[in-house]
Amino acid sequence: MAREERQDRPSYRKYFPPKRKFCRFCQRNVREIDYKNVDILRKYMPERGKISPRRVTGTCAYHQRKLATAVKRARLMALLPYTED
Amino acid sequence: MLYYETGFLLAPNLSEEDTDKIIGQMVEVVSQKAGRLIRQERWGKRRLAYSIDRFNEAFFVFLHYEGGADIPVELERRFKQSDTVLRYLTLKKDTQAVLRRKKKKEPGAEEKAAPSADASAQGSPEVK
Repeated sequence: MAREERQDRPSYRKYFPPKRKFCRFCQRNVREIDYKNVDILRKYMPERGKISPRRVTGTCAYHQRKLATAVKRARLMALLPYTED
Repeated sequence: MLYYETGFLLAPNLSEEDTDKIIGQMVEVVSQKAGRLIRQERWGKRRLAYSIDRFNEAFFVFLHYEGGADIPVELERRFKQSDTVLRYLTLKKDTQAVLRRKKKKEPGAEEKAAPSADASAQGSPEVK
């Protein structure tokens, strides 16, 4: 019953389509991501200190790979934490 | 010739003279091995994201240089020997990418100059 009602109504998504995500690095035509740029890397790390996935940030596969290595290098040099509690 | 970037962390309890001395030694290694130091970055003392050897801060230094593959090997051998170097990381930069970027900039500048010269020669843009 409830399901039928829901189908009659236009869906929530029709009124508020999700904002299209895009790769911020492609937008700026970035080739290499430097591990010393901690401010940029921090944007892709939530409080816990993990690397946020592509499906959340919308980063393209190429730049996600570069980003991941940059974060790992920054962690080695103690610029970024491995874990943050 | 390869382009390298070596970063290392020095212990914060060293005096300024000692840090200068150690950095000077490392720069000397580059020049001894017929390398060319391009840039030297000193960030100074900076808080670490986690403690290393019970230090909560360290002196950050980054060397950018060009030269043979024996330079980073020698540098790393020295880093390993000294207790004052907490961490080090050497990256080999893609020289091709650096060259490509330089090449791209040059024709771009020419193109920009060319249309402006044409426009000034014609005086006003023609409308068909």
